[in-house]
This record gives sequence, structure tokens and C-alpha cells, in this order.
Amino acid sequence: MTDPRFAQIESHRPYLMRYALSQLRDGQLAEEAVQEALASALESVATFGGKSSLRTWLTSILRFKVIDLQRRAASDRQHLESSDLAALSEDEGWLDELFDETGHLLEAPRAWSDPEAALEQRRFWEAFEKCLDRVPGAGGRVFFKREILGESTEAICKDERISSSNCWVILHRARLALRSCLEKSWFGKESLHGR
Amino acid sequence: MAGSVNCREASRLLSAACDRALDAEERQALQYHLGRCAMCRDFESQLKILRRAAERFRDGGA
Repeated sequence: MTDPRFAQIESHRPYLMRYALSQLRDGQLAEEAVQEALASALESVATFGGKSSLRTWLTSILRFKVIDLQRRAASDRQHLESSDLAALSEDEGWLDELFDETGHLLEAPRAWSDPEAALEQRRFWEAFEKCLDRVPGAGGRVFFKREILGESTEAICKDERISSSNCWVILHRARLALRSCLEKSWFGKESLHGR
Repeated sequence: MAGSVNCREASRLLSAACDRALDAEERQALQYHLGRCAMCRDFESQLKILRRAAERFRDGGA
């Protein structure tokens, strides 16, 4: 009889892919790392004591696979692509599209009612992931490292080989994009969430 | 910085405050603006929600 935790473990694949992509920046390598991590996890699921969350446990297994692959791929490692570098100079221009000439937001944000209740709903997390996918350029990856993994901007700058000010611009843009997307796809549609 | 900022600048400072310490001048200008701008106060609280959501996402979401 199949362990019911197998399906649970598999359900974390999208998150694990995001993690792997944020570190490896190569889709194929990320796939390889995640496959190996999931295989390891399935083999050793009996040792998972439940002290940390399943996601935390899976991520810690994946971390080792990622480090292995990073060592192997060290010489071929991609840093910020030229398209990302071009995007950096566009970032300030992008802000021009959000604010009028007096510095006011063109699309006024609305207050979000009961955000704590949103975090308890599975469908909120589906919307959150979709919005994360839509963050433009390197922003998704940098936001993931900063906010989800909790890496310092210093570590991110070193890893991405960008300046602190570039990092802050990327994060500003990512936060604005995510905020706007969540407002459109969730907080602006509260009457539809059946609460 | 002249001691007052507009929403665009305030938005930049609010985001920057998530990543580094603001200097005294920046903090003062931002606080002055937030005292007068409900939209930027909303943005400030939404940034906090984004951070909480990101931490929950790391731990498995819902």
C-alpha cells in the first residue's frame, strides 16, 4: 500500500523547483536536483519525524543536491543574464508607468480586509504562486531569495553579481508587482472567496 | 532629501526599509509623509502582509 505521504511529498514539487531555480538558474539542473531530492525523500520518509514542516525537511534534502550540482556546474554558472541587465535600467523607467508626474500612484491601492484569513485559504496560495510567477525579470528569483529564503541583500548581491542599489530596485519592483497582482487576483475579489 | 517626499519616493523607502536601515533623514521624511498619506500607509501594511505570506510560503503555505 502506497504511503499517503508520497502524494504530500510530490505536492511540494513546484516549491522545490522554485528553490532549485533560484539557486541554479538552469531549468535542467533544477529538474535534476528536485528529482534526486524527491527520490531521496521517498526512500527516507520513515525518518521524517515531523519536528519541522514537511516543506522544510524536503528543502534541506534539496539543498545538498543543489550544492552538489553547483560544484559540478561552477565553471558554467550563469549570473545575471544580459536581458536582466537591460531590465535593470528599465526598472526605474517602469516606475514611471506606475506614478504620475507629481509622484502619486496612478492606480491607488485599496486597503486589504482580513489578510490573516486569506493566509489560511488554499486558494490564496494558488493565487500567490501565480503572482510570484508573474513578477518580471530577475525579480521573481531575487524576491524568492530575499523574502522566502530570507537571504541577506549582501548575499544576494554577491551571488547575482549586482550592486546593492540594483538589488533594492529589483526588490522594489518585485514587491510592487506582487502587491498589484494579489490585489487584482485576490484582495480585490473578496466577495468571491466564500468567506 | 528636502525633508518631504512624494508617494513614489515613499514607496521606494518603504521597500528599502525591508532590506536595510534607513538613515535619519530618510526615516523622518518617510514618517512625515506617512502621517499625511493613507494610501502609503496601506502600502506599508501590505508590504508587511507580503513578508508574512512569504514566510508562510516557505513553511508550506496553508
